[in-house]
Amino acid sequence: MTGAPPDTQAKGIGARLARKEDARFLAGRGQFVADIRMPSMLDVAFVRAPVAHARIVEIEKPDGWESLVYTMADMAGVKPIVAASKLPGFQVSEQYPLAKDKVRFVGEMVAMCVAPSRARAEDLAEQVFVDYEDLPVVSDMHAAANGSAEGKLHAHWDSNVFLETQVDNAAAMADDVVSLRRSLSTSRQCQVPLEGRGVVCYWDHRLGRLEMTSAAQMPHINRTGLAECLGLDEGQVRVVSPDVGGGFGYKGILLPEEICCAWLAMQLDRPIRWIEDRNEHLSANANCREHAYDITVHVDRSGRLAGIDCDAIVDSGAYSSYPFSACLEAAQIGSILPGPYKMDSYRCHTRSAATNKPPILPYRGVARTGVCFALEVMLDIAARELGIEPYELRERSLVGADDMPYTNITNKLFDSGDYIACMQRAVEALDWSGWRARQAEATGRKRIGLGLATFCEQGAHGTSVYHGWGIPMVPGYEQCNARVTTDGILELYLGAHSHGQSMETTMAQVAHTVLGIDPQHVRIRHGDTDGSPYSTGTWGSRNAVMSGGAVAAACEKLADRLRYLAAHLLNVAADDLVFKNGAVATADGSRSITLVEIAHTWYRAPQRLPDDVDPAGLGLVAGYKMRPDMGTFSYATHACAVEVDTVTGAVTLLDYAICEDGGVLINPMVVEGQLIGGLAQGIGTALYEEMPFDDEAQPLASTLADYMVPGAAEMPPLRIEHMQTPSPFSSFGQKGIGEGGAIAPPAAIANAVNDALAGLGAEIHSVPISPERVIAALEAAHESH
Amino acid sequence: MSQSLEFPESNTVTFRLDVNGQPREINAEARTHLADVLREHCGLTATHLGCEQGVCGACTVEIDGVPQRSCLQSAARFEGRQIRTLEAFEDDALTAALRQAFSQEHALQCGYCTPGMLITARDIVQRLPHADEARIREELAGNLCRCTGYRGIVRAIQHVLETYPQESSDGS
Repeated sequence: MTGAPPDTQAKGIGARLARKEDARFLAGRGQFVADIRMPSMLDVAFVRAPVAHARIVEIEKPDGWESLVYTMADMAGVKPIVAASKLPGFQVSEQYPLAKDKVRFVGEMVAMCVAPSRARAEDLAEQVFVDYEDLPVVSDMHAAANGSAEGKLHAHWDSNVFLETQVDNAAAMADDVVSLRRSLSTSRQCQVPLEGRGVVCYWDHRLGRLEMTSAAQMPHINRTGLAECLGLDEGQVRVVSPDVGGGFGYKGILLPEEICCAWLAMQLDRPIRWIEDRNEHLSANANCREHAYDITVHVDRSGRLAGIDCDAIVDSGAYSSYPFSACLEAAQIGSILPGPYKMDSYRCHTRSAATNKPPILPYRGVARTGVCFALEVMLDIAARELGIEPYELRERSLVGADDMPYTNITNKLFDSGDYIACMQRAVEALDWSGWRARQAEATGRKRIGLGLATFCEQGAHGTSVYHGWGIPMVPGYEQCNARVTTDGILELYLGAHSHGQSMETTMAQVAHTVLGIDPQHVRIRHGDTDGSPYSTGTWGSRNAVMSGGAVAAACEKLADRLRYLAAHLLNVAADDLVFKNGAVATADGSRSITLVEIAHTWYRAPQRLPDDVDPAGLGLVAGYKMRPDMGTFSYATHACAVEVDTVTGAVTLLDYAICEDGGVLINPMVVEGQLIGGLAQGIGTALYEEMPFDDEAQPLASTLADYMVPGAAEMPPLRIEHMQTPSPFSSFGQKGIGEGGAIAPPAAIANAVNDALAGLGAEIHSVPISPERVIAALEAAHESH
Repeated sequence: MSQSLEFPESNTVTFRLDVNGQPREINAEARTHLADVLREHCGLTATHLGCEQGVCGACTVEIDGVPQRSCLQSAARFEGRQIRTLEAFEDDALTAALRQAFSQEHALQCGYCTPGMLITARDIVQRLPHADEARIREELAGNLCRCTGYRGIVRAIQHVLETYPQESSDGS
């Protein structure tokens, strides 16, 4: 399908088709893990560590109820979670599903209690007495990285650093470059899907396997991990991911809770359920975004970016999570910090620090949100230093449309696009000059500021990318099992999972474009290891490209077979046939046969078919791999205007504009939904969301009253502009774009705030930009004058 | 066969609830909140739990015609009240209009906040026929959505406010 123009029909690629999945959710009939009931099911509650670092001296089970409480000592033979980066120097952690000997973060599971209801299981959990002997707590990633922390996470390690990496593409720069250096940071966050994690599982004696339903983004990977830890064959584990209430990276992990529940289900031979509550999410699983950058940008006098030097630390928490490891963030920082820019020189040193906090997980955008913040804030500081507009400075270094495809300083192959035009459109959409005029009038207590941020977003990362980052799970080929059923329905089995991404609709649209079949007659089956091809799942903005590519490939192969059958049944040449309105027809439309009739003939009246027909029939597996497999690069510029109250420190978003390019859009409505949803999360990162930890690594925001996520009233007026530059490397020009909305907001908003505060000599260096941070910046500026 | 297990005693109380027009006799621990009774005892799983603290709004139901959190009070306190969950609005014309608008405006992605959003949206349309965008956003402050960024939800409610015939919007 390479180079095919977007389908202009109302249902195929390019159509704003309403979603097939909506009806069940609007009726309240979605089926989430917690909605599943099984006879004799028992609920689990976990005893979780109240301290961040301690040796377990003794665990005392409640008198008389010992048989309802389990510790790691009971789970003999269950292996720990190990996610070892392949990069040299990586220090390996072992995370037992229930803590063994030591606890290493607040919320780590120590014991498991079972009862007919969660409340009664919690009653038992309250009666479990654990004697802890405190160990020195490592709460600060700088101390961990620099070796100055008193505590040590893992006894057999040399340091508190999972991995140290160095990218060194340093080159000579002109003598008169302007060099600007700052320390910048992003806070630890929680992903906060509205539905938490959850598990229902039991042992099926007929099939001789564990049936595990889990709110999971990557059911095949969970199956692999479960089998490894439990000592089962993969065939003895089925994982089903049903309707899932948002993931954002939080559910892209093998859970210790899954292992515990699976073990218990086998032990008791009863269905076992665990449903995460909000307190568990916030206090035991605050696990993303925490980066610190010591960054220097060098620009020449014209504003052209000459080079970057950066020393980055990621607070990776206590263990390496399966499958992404403790080092995905740092690996990304090293390779994507240069952003969409050209430069002469680049150096980046990273350390993945181990601390007594929950293990880090990727959150929508992964490290890109942090690196975009670090670099884009520096570029605006440089523009201010040189007295030019932020977009003028960027124009001098953005990769140009004529340069595409372009290999950047870290060997990223940018596929296509016009980054500069995109930025200009966002600037215009915001009415930048109009806001500059209003800004000039706001010289009192409330200041106005403008900011922008631009980035490119690698999606559908290929084999070489993940292999290069040392991630233990390397994606390869995505596949689709496709078949036309006896009644002419197209069934597509996918190994990935859709938990809000709308794949039941978008994948049907792809099928419609190839086979002319109405999307209502396409059944997407996803999230079940039974019947679907192995897949690394849903993450990294990969499914429009990878699952979309696999669906297109499968439909094209099916088209060949259908065309052959139709040609025989219609007695015409196969080459003349086209797919339209659920039928195969001659180009002039004079003769046609429906897919229903072909299916009926194939399955139930084969006497009408020729002898040489391929007996493989109307079902097949087809696969897709992008070549070159670097991935697609969507890109965008976010521009905004803010008002800063210099007395209260409050920041108000006045206006927001986005111009983005996701290549050929399968469904622009869905893309906008991803974009705006991501924007809300990005605004949370920029202004509200933070899980502070005290010196003893105690989480301090364990309810949604303390951990604030944006509501409807926190969203600014918004304009969205689309560009659609096809990727030359994907199957129909599509690009991954699911994460982009969450990447730029912290950078764009911080730049606007700094623009507003520039006249007062104050500068923000960390997100979220809370009133406290604004006031602190103003006070620091006041003291230095 | 399953292992036979004994558990600590559980003290339950019996009370009657009026759920979606049906009388229900409930036998549950006194501490059980309404959402758990609706989900675990009545099998009505449209009501979702997101925080069990009254912040997220996923558990919003109608009590005597007014939206209310079902996660904050024990179920026994709702004796004598009329409880309606999203399941009660299967054939409700206003809810049908909202459903249609939600789909058209892409006001849902994962669908987890959706039942609570629909209950709140229905209340906004009935109570505030002249609500503008800012007012709708303010009214939605008690319902969190982590997927959509709210634009589709706000637009869907606006659309229904503009198009739904007011004289029949009492919905009862």
